[in-house]
Amino acid sequence: MADTRLRHPQYFDARRLLSQSHEQASDLELARSARAGDESAFEEIMRRYSPRVFRFASRFFRQRSLVEEAAQEVFLKAFTELDSFAGRGSMEGWLTRITTNTCLNLLRSAKRRPELTVSNLTEDETAWLESNMGAAATERHESSERSLVAADLTDRVLHTLSPDDQLVLMLIDAEENSVKDVVKITGWSESKVKVQAFRARRRMREAVEKLLGRKPKASATAQRVMK
Amino acid sequence: MKDQHIISLIENTSFGSISESDLQKIKAHAAECDSCESAYAAARLAAVMLRERTAETFEPSPFFQTRVMAHLRERQAANTWSWDRIWRAAGALASSMVATVAALAVLTFVIPDVSNTGELVEASARNAYSVEEVIINPGDSLEEDSDGLILKTLYDAAEDTVK
Repeated sequence: MADTRLRHPQYFDARRLLSQSHEQASDLELARSARAGDESAFEEIMRRYSPRVFRFASRFFRQRSLVEEAAQEVFLKAFTELDSFAGRGSMEGWLTRITTNTCLNLLRSAKRRPELTVSNLTEDETAWLESNMGAAATERHESSERSLVAADLTDRVLHTLSPDDQLVLMLIDAEENSVKDVVKITGWSESKVKVQAFRARRRMREAVEKLLGRKPKASATAQRVMK
Repeated sequence: MKDQHIISLIENTSFGSISESDLQKIKAHAAECDSCESAYAAARLAAVMLRERTAETFEPSPFFQTRVMAHLRERQAANTWSWDRIWRAAGALASSMVATVAALAVLTFVIPDVSNTGELVEASARNAYSVEEVIINPGDSLEEDSDGLILKTLYDAAEDTVK
């Protein structure tokens, strides 16, 4: 049955006034209003934070549909867990934690891709690797087309790693978060974050070395074991 | 430095955070060690790849909020509906249990009394013999010419003779 209020012009005016008042409201006030059943308050939360949630989810998924799915799941979870947001931390941090967990769960549920070898590379990817071998890491003068190739290749390499490896590499090495930030975001211990990052870098490096057609150098730990 | 491989220096921290002094050590060692040179090149390339990956970002579509709100309403409606169903099912279960208990009570307390009374009336109507007769000849209580009946006839005849 259609809501008769929707046909009433005053209803739209009331909603507009309500959303205008929400624009000035703090995150905690919005959370309280949304908890009390005010949908426009939750819409304001989404308006404020959906770009960040999308940006964060884009680190883990390259298809728009997957990013949207993750972001939608984040806000649905956030709505049901509004009670847990007490305003002690920032809403941005709270939503980042939910986004991280959601993305991690989606990565875990996805099938892990098999190891990537030189023979699996496209011509463009091989060309990109060769041209970037000599370039300094700090230099960056890529065309958008070449950036796309690089992003495709990175995505393929990352998806051969475990979801936890992908997460730390993205958070620390790509997003340049500190270990302490990652501890807050993931809820892992500091030592777990450090060890996970160390191992993830090694696995990523080994995967890239294989693509370059070189035998990966054994890690220091492996060398000690061999001795 | 020649014998000290630089792998741990590369893997301890993100490539962009390696200090200038460490980077000099790494470069100096990599120039003399093939395997470390390969590891260094791969680590540098991995850093470039990760940075390229962050360049790509999606923005929310204009209908994103509308879609999420629609999903929320759907979920809430589904939750309410499922609670309604649970309550209705619980009500049906409770009323059927009450009905069963009532039926069992009727069967236990009311129907056996009626049947017992009926049986007794029926039995007494069927049985025309006195208690003495049944005691004298319990096995043939239903026979017409029982020993009891003969004895009664004999007693009656003897009394008539005395009179």
